Amino acid sequence: MRVLNFAAFFLALSSAFLLYSLSYDTRRLEARVLEKEQLARRARSDIAVLKAEKGHLSRPDRIDPYARALGLGPPRPDQMSSSARLAITQPVEEDHR
Amino acid sequence: MRRRVIITPNSAPRLPSNGRPGRSRIANGLLALGVMLAFSAVGVQLVLLGARANAVRATLAVTEAAPVNFARPDIIDRNGRLLATDVEVPSLFADPALVLDRDELVEKLSTVLPDIDPRQLRGELSDRSRRFVWIRRGLSPKIAQKIHDLGLPSLAFRKELRRAYPGGELAGHVLGGVSIDNKGVAGIEKWIDDNVGVEGVHTAEFSDHAPVRLSLDIGVQHSLEDELDIATRRYKTHAAAGLVMDIRTGEIIASASLPRVDPLFPQTAYDPGHIDRLLTGTYELGSVFKTLTIAMALDEGLATSATVLDVRQPLTAGGFTITDLHPAGRPLSVEEVFTRSSNVGAAMLAVQAGTDRFMSFMKRIGVTGLMKTEVGPVSAPLIPKRVDQIELMTMSYGHGIAVAPLQFAAATASILNGGKRVQPRYVRFTDTPAKPEAVTSELTSREIARLFRLNVLDPSGTGERAEVPGYRVGGKTGTAERADNGRYKEKAVISSFIGAFPMDQPQYLTFVVLFEPEANEESGGHRTASSNAAPTTARIIARIAPQLGVAPLAVSTTQ
Repeated sequence: MRVLNFAAFFLALSSAFLLYSLSYDTRRLEARVLEKEQLARRARSDIAVLKAEKGHLSRPDRIDPYARALGLGPPRPDQMSSSARLAITQPVEEDHR
Repeated sequence: MRRRVIITPNSAPRLPSNGRPGRSRIANGLLALGVMLAFSAVGVQLVLLGARANAVRATLAVTEAAPVNFARPDIIDRNGRLLATDVEVPSLFADPALVLDRDELVEKLSTVLPDIDPRQLRGELSDRSRRFVWIRRGLSPKIAQKIHDLGLPSLAFRKELRRAYPGGELAGHVLGGVSIDNKGVAGIEKWIDDNVGVEGVHTAEFSDHAPVRLSLDIGVQHSLEDELDIATRRYKTHAAAGLVMDIRTGEIIASASLPRVDPLFPQTAYDPGHIDRLLTGTYELGSVFKTLTIAMALDEGLATSATVLDVRQPLTAGGFTITDLHPAGRPLSVEEVFTRSSNVGAAMLAVQAGTDRFMSFMKRIGVTGLMKTEVGPVSAPLIPKRVDQIELMTMSYGHGIAVAPLQFAAATASILNGGKRVQPRYVRFTDTPAKPEAVTSELTSREIARLFRLNVLDPSGTGERAEVPGYRVGGKTGTAERADNGRYKEKAVISSFIGAFPMDQPQYLTFVVLFEPEANEESGGHRTASSNAAPTTARIIARIAPQLGVAPLAVSTTQ
């Protein structure tokens, strides 16, 4: 009977301890999930800012003057040709002898 | 006094016969140790969890439930380039109950936010029953840091979503804008609220919606705005507007109205000087309207391009006389009525049709009804309540009827689109549109396209300066005196050019409207559309045609 009591007591104690552990593990996991969510949110926020910055830096009214300063501009009709009109030249075979 | 302890045989600890502590005592000791260890472990767990929770709470301190604001989908152009997005920004609030010294707080805050109203802020902070007072929403991170560094305990930040427009004022009228709560109040932003949906959020949570793809092309939009800017400076115009439309789908590739508006301040668009002149303004557009009159005459079988009209004498009706700006002094064919922009010729065709037929055609083509777009409703056209002969005559060449430029452009696109109705669209849809209603015959459509091209090619045509070698441009000029207080101002004109290219198979429609251009050296001393709106159109087409993938033909084959 005594052994049984001790066994029951230890069982109850270990069960309580196990429960506590599980409970704390769950809370710890919750906290980690929350942290990860925070990280994800921060990353999304950073992505949004970077996207906006990229859009701002590549806006045409900013690029236009730089392109013109480099001598670039809208293509003229005489700069265009159809592929059919392109003269396809055969590469000249070099004499390696 | 020493207390004497009496040990009785019953109270004395029982020792085993060998004089050492028994097994039960060891067991008790172990049990006590186990319990102590267990409680210690629980204690350590609690401390660890508490520390972790505090850390998480600390990061959450500025993102706690805020008053509802709205997460919006991004807006992109037809090629996926960003036009609008949400970004997270800190907003500053105060808890009046925690304010120790109002004057100090206001004084310190004014050093970082100099435009703050000290009196109003003091008033708001004096009400200690309030626990929340917004001080400034949508701060930049730099300003927020400066405020944080002031070390005022009653101030705190909350993260909110704010709309950012990376292109600045580019396509500002089309985009519209949002309120302080990120809710759409104008333009496409409002359409998104009504049709796509925005999510009310308590923290800075981004929208999960797919981006809204517009029909605009940022590159074409910039070219259009830039050329309108140049025209504004060159011809010293009061304002300018223009659009580029895909004739086959009705998609608006670019749409601009100068002066521009910044989508961050959408209320500016309500200022009469900054309205979107393509949608919100209605104007007497002048001779560009002859396109519709002649299309009506051709479609109704009243005339062909070769029909000759005697335009030598001015027309009179209701005490008014209708004359041509440059009288030909000889009868003109309908084709010449178009290219020489004869008011008398257009009026004769309208009279021949009669009021009912003329108005019925205008209704069919869509210039007298109401129009709605994703950007907003188009201003209703102003049509005379009673159309007698004089009204009919003046309407035939674009006076006495005022329409929004977009509505007129859509009507012209319908004619050039093989006679199939075109509905302007600012949002790109992937669905196949319903089969469009026929508004004119294909023959009429082809004939108007031919007249458009002829008006640019013919040396006597008014659109000669709209030519862009290789791109087969066609179009019609319009110069209308501006009405002010019921009287026309001779020197204040609205000069416009409705154009299309390439005219062998019209794909894109352009419409340029210049408001009150000056007659100066740049325009050869004229203020007519042929000397300002037509060359502006040519410059626009030269820039946008390659972007739109229109292949140029050798100049010799385009004549």
